[in-house]
Amino acid sequence: MAAGLKSKSKTKSKVLLLRSVAAVILLSFVLAVGFLMIILSCALYQNWLPLLVALIFVLAPLPNAIFSHCGADDFAGSYENSSGPVDLGRFITAMIVVTGFALPIVLAHSAVITPGSCAMSIIGGGLVYGTILTYSQAFKQEDSEYD
Amino acid sequence: SNYDPRRVCLNPFPEFTLGKHRRTVGVYLAGALFALAQWTFLDAAILSKHAKAPWGEPDTPAPVHVTFVDWIPGICSLLGFLVVNLIDKDRIRGDEGFGDSRAVWRARLFLFIGFALMAGGLAGSITVLILKYILNEYPEQFTYYGYANVSQNVALMLSAIVLWIAQSGSSEYEYNLTL
Repeated sequence: MAAGLKSKSKTKSKVLLLRSVAAVILLSFVLAVGFLMIILSCALYQNWLPLLVALIFVLAPLPNAIFSHCGADDFAGSYENSSGPVDLGRFITAMIVVTGFALPIVLAHSAVITPGSCAMSIIGGGLVYGTILTYSQAFKQEDSEYD
Repeated sequence: SNYDPRRVCLNPFPEFTLGKHRRTVGVYLAGALFALAQWTFLDAAILSKHAKAPWGEPDTPAPVHVTFVDWIPGICSLLGFLVVNLIDKDRIRGDEGFGDSRAVWRARLFLFIGFALMAGGLAGSITVLILKYILNEYPEQFTYYGYANVSQNVALMLSAIVLWIAQSGSSEYEYNLTL
């Protein structure tokens, strides 16, 4: 009985591990595709300005990450950890994300880059940022599950 | 019964039912609107820098460019945005235990200055649109600069309003929670 339980939990954890490994592989694949799109959008048209989009989207979660540990309030904690610094981090993150989408559009509007390059860099940037979001969300869930 | 004549900014907006994520969503939305505002105007500025000629007649130079005059309303709005958001919301409400009454008065004065700067920016952008672009009857390609300026200021103001609602809504809740 005990042995059966043990093996059951073992297989369960194995399945969990497999699933998370599959998720990580899938996410890294999507990330690679995103970067591929951005680099292609630069290389196909010999104009390397859209590469800035990749940099912007990689930087996007940084303010959130930095400021999230700033406002550990004893009172507000469990419902919504919201304080000045945390809000500032969210504000800057939203700004950077919108910047990442707006930069190719602006560049394409003033004919610095071609519309095709604009579309490709936006799709690639969206994939990169989506990957980052999904990854951090998955880790957050695992954290809350085991504490 | 909820009315207190000392309150300056009694917001008449209904309570949104976004649940506990109201503040987070509001702050993200405000940041997005802020960036959108700046990029709308920067788009016009970059376009003006690259604009060589009106459509269809490649030899004539562009009749108008984005100059420093176009930047002034946006700068005013930006200053107003900073001033409004740097003020502690609890000061304005004037609760007891938050310093003397002069402090409340000063906070309200600065809040007024901030809102006046933002309103001045909006009015200035409309002035620039009318005086510089519409009255001179430029083609649509160039009046776009003026419209972009106005939408920049409108978006900045919306951003400030959204941020204000998001932050003031849950501060009252926190106040209840701490007591």
